[in-house]
Amino acid sequence: MNIMPGLESTASALAAEKVRLDVIGQNIANAHTTKGPDGKPYSRQLVSFETKLMEIGTNSDGSKKMGTGVSVKSITSDPKSGPLVYNPGHPDADEKGMVRLPNVNLTHEMVDMIAASRSYEANLEVVRTAKQMAQNALRIGR
Amino acid sequence: MIDQILERENYVLAKKMLDVSQARHEAISGNLANAETPGYKRVDIKANFPDELKKLAESNDVESISKLQTRLETDLNSPIVRPDGNNVQLDSELLKMSENAMQYEFLTQYTANSMKRIKTAITGRVQ
Repeated sequence: MNIMPGLESTASALAAEKVRLDVIGQNIANAHTTKGPDGKPYSRQLVSFETKLMEIGTNSDGSKKMGTGVSVKSITSDPKSGPLVYNPGHPDADEKGMVRLPNVNLTHEMVDMIAASRSYEANLEVVRTAKQMAQNALRIGR
Repeated sequence: MIDQILERENYVLAKKMLDVSQARHEAISGNLANAETPGYKRVDIKANFPDELKKLAESNDVESISKLQTRLETDLNSPIVRPDGNNVQLDSELLKMSENAMQYEFLTQYTANSMKRIKTAITGRVQ
């Protein structure tokens, strides 16, 4: 018996969306980083999700009740190379004066950020509704 | 004697429907959690469940109503909304969630009110 239904999967989703927002923040912060610790320009990181089967309580017959949560499957770098621009004064320019910029596209990142924050809001709405349902249930005896 | 009052079919049905509503909220929360998981298919209460429950309610079979299991099933009929095969539509899912919460509220109020009526009958005073 669970007084607030659906919280486990929602909590996992909120955590996963937060990781996604973190990574987007990292991408935006490094949109102009031309040299990382490996000597190469920063490459955009991508988060992918996977469904996670998780225990969300027990059924009336005592068996485990399973629900579908979400977890971060992997954070991978985008292998595409970024644009090459002519900037001979740049410290990371090659002998021809060309600089390789990171493959971060700010527009993509902003769109992704909005999508992630909308997903986060949708999951918060689930928590709000669960709370309302629990309050209603507690009022039965009054 | 009080047991007989509390095991009347309207109570048993309301209890079952509250369970169903809670299970549905769990299903919807799983769907919304996986709104951006590649290849995820939404889950919901079995499509023929309302008919089954209605049939049992019409036959006044209290025993079978309370034994009826709420099962979830994967919904493969909803249109796919993402190229990766995911079929969770954020807006329709949120709509279903509010609808379900409303149903839950109705059921809790219904149960509370009928309990109040019993109290009135016992005490002879309107609370």
